Amino acid sequence: MLSVQTWSPFRPSAFAGLVHYEELLFHDEVFWTSLWNTVVFMASSPIAIALALGLALLVDTRIRGRGIYRAIIFLSYPLMTVAVGVIWRWLYDEKVGLINYVLLSLGVTRRPIAFLDSYEWAMPSVVVAAVWQIVGFFMVILLAGLQNIPPNLQEAAALDGASAWQRFRSITLPLLRPAIFLCLVIGIINSFTSFDLIYVMTGGGPNHATEVLITYIYRSAFVLSKFDYAAALTVVLFVFLLALTWLANRATGGEAGAVDAAE
Amino acid sequence: MSAQRVSMRRRSTSLTLALLALGLLTGSVTAQEKRLSLLTWNIPVYKEKIDGWIADFNKVHPDVTVEWFDKKGPEWGPFYQTQVVAGTAPDIIDTQGAIWLEYAANGGLVDLTPYLERDRAVKEHYNPTFLRTWVYEGKTYMVPFYVSKTLLFYNKTMMREAGVTRPPQTFDELLEAARKMTKGEKSGFVTLNFDWLYWPLLAMNGVELLTPDLKKAAFNTPAAVKTVEALARATADGTINKVAWTGRWVEPNNAFAGGTVGFYQAHSPAFFYVRGGGPWINAETLGAAPMPGGFATPNSHGLGISKSSKHPELAWEFIKLATSDKWAYTFGKTLKVFTGTRVDSRLLEELQNEDPLAASVMKTQLEHLDRLVATWPLGKDAQVKEAFYSEFQAAVLGRKPAAVALAEAERKVNRLLAR
Repeated sequence: MLSVQTWSPFRPSAFAGLVHYEELLFHDEVFWTSLWNTVVFMASSPIAIALALGLALLVDTRIRGRGIYRAIIFLSYPLMTVAVGVIWRWLYDEKVGLINYVLLSLGVTRRPIAFLDSYEWAMPSVVVAAVWQIVGFFMVILLAGLQNIPPNLQEAAALDGASAWQRFRSITLPLLRPAIFLCLVIGIINSFTSFDLIYVMTGGGPNHATEVLITYIYRSAFVLSKFDYAAALTVVLFVFLLALTWLANRATGGEAGAVDAAE
Repeated sequence: MSAQRVSMRRRSTSLTLALLALGLLTGSVTAQEKRLSLLTWNIPVYKEKIDGWIADFNKVHPDVTVEWFDKKGPEWGPFYQTQVVAGTAPDIIDTQGAIWLEYAANGGLVDLTPYLERDRAVKEHYNPTFLRTWVYEGKTYMVPFYVSKTLLFYNKTMMREAGVTRPPQTFDELLEAARKMTKGEKSGFVTLNFDWLYWPLLAMNGVELLTPDLKKAAFNTPAAVKTVEALARATADGTINKVAWTGRWVEPNNAFAGGTVGFYQAHSPAFFYVRGGGPWINAETLGAAPMPGGFATPNSHGLGISKSSKHPELAWEFIKLATSDKWAYTFGKTLKVFTGTRVDSRLLEELQNEDPLAASVMKTQLEHLDRLVATWPLGKDAQVKEAFYSEFQAAVLGRKPAAVALAEAERKVNRLLAR
């Protein structure tokens, strides 16, 4: 309702029609920048899932101390996101950051890189931190999925002469579909709600280079006091999220939940 | 008959007692209802003294309960706005910079003009220049709590090494000297950029943000384009440290405290932060001067009253007490700030004996008060600031040509002002 009204904490509301939607669609560059950045941020989910799948396959093998490896990989997830943001800020720091120290020591770069203050590096830097935090959680989901695959299927395929890649492509991946779908939905939702990490690491800057919809909603409401406009942005975010979840469901066969039920 | 009388007497006694109890109860409810709340901006360290304000206030108004909240900068706005919506806005608020403008423009603050007219002695207690910075459409909405404005800090060691003999007197001199000090890790200049604190760089080049009637953008001029181009060039070659345009408070302060920046445009509170983190800082190595032309952006704190306050008179009494000679002096002395009141000259005098370096910085806060800039009384200040800065920042960081960025900023600002 607020999105079709003009409203501020100091004034009563009045009907405004679609004026906020017109503003954001046709006059607000920052909205489009933040929407694009949200899509880019979202694109980190498949990367995280691929990484998590690799790690899950590794720790699913019979190696010594695999329990410890699993715990280490999962450790990043229970950390508070604010703490993750602060840790990565330090790591990326131009003067005292470990990453710059390593790059300079190896001769990869001659001058320290201002990762979080540059247009080019800010978004990839935040994405790396986001992937680092979520990858352990995805790994646990995928590992559970892997352990649910009946071993006799793999053994029968091996007896039939299927290579490891063929078994992975024809048995593991299809049977992991529900777990992958779950990761994808969580990843998408996470990318739309990753307010704390971005707020702590860059505040949406430099110059909106890491502004995503959720940080822009906060800025509009509490920095620019445009609560009505922020409500319109929230409606867009909701519609976008709904559409993406539907698409993700379609892309994974359309009945991801039903597979579980059948089993 | 006698039994009837006894019964009637009992009834009337009971009624009297009931009425008495009701009166007492109502009285105590009324007394409890006299509540004042105070919201300050990130001064938890001042708790003991604020308890002192409240104790002094209660000596005169024992029936009033004063409640104090303190919020850090980023939390202050969301907290206050949500309290306004909930109908529990703090009666007295301490705001920083231009945040009060939007509240005043939307009718959220009590007009203090009649109070100041009534209490002439109180009005005269405040520095008139600072008091004028809280006027919107002819009405005064806040009174000074503590005041500051921008100045130029300079690293004397870096200046000596680069052969720079004096603080810059013009914009060109500023960039030229900064360029001489730029070498390897060292950069010549950094500035704070929030709340229009960078504006003196444009003001000293004759750039005005708006037309005198505040209805249109006036900054898209050849002088502005030239200035922004010069700033962009200086940023690209490292003369200006990039954190000048990307950092907020901590990053520029840390850059200067690190001893690798020659000039630093910031307001006086930055001095205490920088000195805490810069062991190199002493009277031999650090200097303070006005920016070329004496231009400065104020970034002061004021005290005002929420429109929803049920006790504006009491709130005003509280503000008078908090900014009185006694408490203004205590505040300035404790936190080493000026208060925008007549106690400031005494504070400066004492500081000169106790901490000459801090005094040299603080002295600049009371000079060139006729050169305060970026004090436009705009109800949409935050939005205009955002519209201008996003384009200005893109230009100085080399993302857009200055002319294109300023034209775009002009379009955005005019659109905002027209709505």
